[in-house]
Amino acid sequence: MDQTASQVEWKKGSAELLILSLVEARPRHGYEISKLIEQRSGGTVRFHVASLYPLLYRLEHRGWLVGRWVEKDGQRRRRYYRLTRQGRRVLASQLRGWREFVVGINRITEAEENA
Amino acid sequence: MPEWKPEILRRLAPLNLSPARESEIAEEIAQHLDDRYEELLADGHSADSAFRAALDELKDEDLLARNLQSVENDLYRGPVAPGKVGSKLFAGILQDIRYAFRMMRKSPGFTAVAVLTLALGIGANTAIFTMMNGLMLHTLPVRDPKSLIQILVHYPGDPEPGFSDFSWDAYQTMRDGNRVLSDLIVGSLNVYDVSGHGVESQNVFGGNIGDNFFESLGVRPAIGRLIGPQDIAASSPVAVVSWSFWKTRFNLSPDIVGQKIISNDKPLTIIGVAQRDFYGLSNQAQQDIWVPYSLEDHPSVALLGRLKRSVSFEQARADLAALYQTFVDRPETNPFFRRNEVRLIPAGNGISTPVTQMLSTPLKVLMATVGLLLLLACANLAGLLLARGASRQHEMAVRVCLGANRARLLRHTLAESLLLSLIGSAVGIFLAYFAVGALIRLFSSGRLMVGVPVHFDVLRHLDARVLLFTVAIALLTSLLCGTAPAMSASNTTPASALQSGTKIGETKRQRLFGKSLVAAQVALSLVLVSMAGLFVEYLSHLRNDLGFERNNLLLVTLDFAHSDYNAAQYAHLSQELARQLNAIPGVSSSTFSEMSPMEGPGASSFASAEDHPEKTTPVSINNIAPDYFQTYSTPFLAGRDFSARDEAGSRVAIINESAARDCFGSKNPIGRHITLSHITETKGEKTFEVIGVVGDAKYNDLGQPAPPTIYGSLIQEGFLGSQLAIRTRTDASGVSSAVREAEASVLKNVPVVRMIEMNDQVDATIVPQRLFATLSTGFGALGALLAVIGLYGLLAYTVVRRTHEIGVRIALGAEGAEVMRIVVRDALWMVCAGLAIGAPVAFWGKRIAASLIPDLPVANQLPIVIAAAIMIAVGLIAAYLPARRAMHVDPMVALRYE
Repeated sequence: MDQTASQVEWKKGSAELLILSLVEARPRHGYEISKLIEQRSGGTVRFHVASLYPLLYRLEHRGWLVGRWVEKDGQRRRRYYRLTRQGRRVLASQLRGWREFVVGINRITEAEENA
Repeated sequence: MPEWKPEILRRLAPLNLSPARESEIAEEIAQHLDDRYEELLADGHSADSAFRAALDELKDEDLLARNLQSVENDLYRGPVAPGKVGSKLFAGILQDIRYAFRMMRKSPGFTAVAVLTLALGIGANTAIFTMMNGLMLHTLPVRDPKSLIQILVHYPGDPEPGFSDFSWDAYQTMRDGNRVLSDLIVGSLNVYDVSGHGVESQNVFGGNIGDNFFESLGVRPAIGRLIGPQDIAASSPVAVVSWSFWKTRFNLSPDIVGQKIISNDKPLTIIGVAQRDFYGLSNQAQQDIWVPYSLEDHPSVALLGRLKRSVSFEQARADLAALYQTFVDRPETNPFFRRNEVRLIPAGNGISTPVTQMLSTPLKVLMATVGLLLLLACANLAGLLLARGASRQHEMAVRVCLGANRARLLRHTLAESLLLSLIGSAVGIFLAYFAVGALIRLFSSGRLMVGVPVHFDVLRHLDARVLLFTVAIALLTSLLCGTAPAMSASNTTPASALQSGTKIGETKRQRLFGKSLVAAQVALSLVLVSMAGLFVEYLSHLRNDLGFERNNLLLVTLDFAHSDYNAAQYAHLSQELARQLNAIPGVSSSTFSEMSPMEGPGASSFASAEDHPEKTTPVSINNIAPDYFQTYSTPFLAGRDFSARDEAGSRVAIINESAARDCFGSKNPIGRHITLSHITETKGEKTFEVIGVVGDAKYNDLGQPAPPTIYGSLIQEGFLGSQLAIRTRTDASGVSSAVREAEASVLKNVPVVRMIEMNDQVDATIVPQRLFATLSTGFGALGALLAVIGLYGLLAYTVVRRTHEIGVRIALGAEGAEVMRIVVRDALWMVCAGLAIGAPVAFWGKRIAASLIPDLPVANQLPIVIAAAIMIAVGLIAAYLPARRAMHVDPMVALRYE
């Protein structure tokens, strides 16, 4: 599915938030993260490999995520990403900012619609 | 499954990542593409379309690299493959250390020997340095400690550094006349018996001080006020106590000001507490009480000075010596003082105390010895590392082929020795802790220490300076033992080292270096072992050349202070007690005296013979009962012993051989007269008729020749001799309870305050010498052991290296004995080279030791000869196994590899 220019812009702004929130509950590997983003957004948001992994490494470099190779019986080893304490703080702050932003946008657009 | 990695790697190539990082990213992304591919197949895509759709995830040819660039450049700085040249220092160092750990785990035996060797070397250094630090390097917590000096007078020939004991006149002369000191401070270090309300009677250190003591040292009161000029002028019965005294005895109660205490039987009022961190004039002795020196009946003062800024030590000494001379030149001055000379010593690290006097020289000598030991340990380890390095040449060559440069190989090899020495240091600090404890126990047994509240704990103080020292030692060690192996490793030439079948390659220079390391170990061991022999001989000489028999002799100290006996009663009761003691089975004789040998400083005086009244000889004095010489087993050379008849007659004395020679020359002293002047207590003159001459016996200092000694009669002099000596036929401790019973039944209200065997009393006076003998023996043994290990390591390695050559020799008909001779000859060559280097160093070391420790038997060369014999034995022991192995080389096996 082609992405519109506005989708690309929104994605850039929210990519970190999406990834951090997906590994909040439990560690996940890269493919799982990309699938979840695609599924939960109903296919409107997708990350391809060339963007997802550089982003994961960046978050890891900042100390918000930790990646570990895990081997499970009968499976290939996979790299799982876990949220760090610092990442948890960043996620909380980004979520708050995002919600405030959405509320603000809604107020403006609803006011215009009602005018 | 399609092969994704080539696609991914091609896209990553421009980033020039390290191979490890590159493969990690490729693996992760390839998995992602696998998953995507499988999913597409499951959704019904054809293999071809699934492949293209999955590959599409990588987007443009350069997008992945572009997105990764900023992240990866921050994260990973270039290649860090083992041994490969890297621009990223830190990552490489960590890798070197990790690798070094792996190597250590791989050969635990080698690691254990190396760590233990270094731990012993570093631990011994840390232990001795910890004590030196506590004893000599701490500065006093006072204002400008560096400018403080202690002023002493030294009697020529006295082995002690001198004593700070000036009369009031001498003090005034120096105070008013000097041009070199900004302050002349009265301040001493004495022991006080302190008691009072809420304070249990006990001995504490304190000081008699002058008016400017606290002000000049920059000490403030924590509470109340400090002693000042008005207290000195009025001789006020006041005292200032330390903060720790305030805390432990008064629980920091502010009511302390105005409290009464008794100090040395004088009632005093506490007027204040000194500031918290001020503990007095010595690092080893917490001073708890300070009183005005003017409270003493015959004030003599201990002096400290503060040098003026531009004044040198020597200028100050000359100025003060000249002033002291004007004082002693006065007619009324005691002539005893005329021979004294003024000495200054720095006091910034605390004034001279029994502890510093006893320990500072031994610690310096020991520091030098443990330095040698560490050097030996380094040479040993360097040899082992070098031999191991030679067997790792193949590995080094591979590294060079993979792009490692010399510096990197150097660092890589040094990391191993650094790690070994750091672990060695950690174990060494652990060992040092126990070593210091053991040394302190030995020191505390010293005569000067018993009953004095010396704070030895300062000697185990582990501060930043000690840690810094240990770290510095560890770094130095790692450089000393790591550099040569590292240089050798970094010189690897891959072309020859990688050829299959090449013998473990070494250049001639490297072989020579390895051999010279072993020779150096033999040389250092020779020095250590010969020093050990020297000190053991010295100790045995001290213990046995006494002039009396120290075995089977029990000494009992009695306290007559509260007995109220007069001299006549004492004479009767002491004879009765001696009779009862002699009846105890196992006792052969018993006697009383004022002093027992080696008990401590006794009385001394100047003697002149009747023929030469103008010639005076310094003599030691003891007052004794009959049977003294029989009990102590000192031989009578002429004349007779004291007897009951002497009580009524004229004053008589027995003199020793030295006194007879010094006072009477070759004349027979029996029946002649001798006069003592300025006896310590009476200061009067006394003339004695000499009735006997005995052999020389040590009196106070085992390190000095027996002094000329005059023995007076206890009964004639009217003294109550408190020292009882009992000679037994077997072990002296066996009669102690019978002695106590007899004493209690005869001298009912005279308590026994001390019971000690003569052997222990002798040993308590020679703590430094025992310390030298014990430690140097340990170090010598350790040195010899290290030499065995070093020699064995090199020989074993040489035999492995020469297996082929030995095989050829055997194949050509060489006998086993001949092969053995080759190995043993190698060993003996190295030992002989070591001896040739070590012997002059040992001679030189002996001379240095002799300059620090008078009376050391340096003329005797036997210790060096014995040490050399031990080293040759060491060489043969170390050669035994390698030689056996060489004899059993199978020529077929050895030649098969050709």
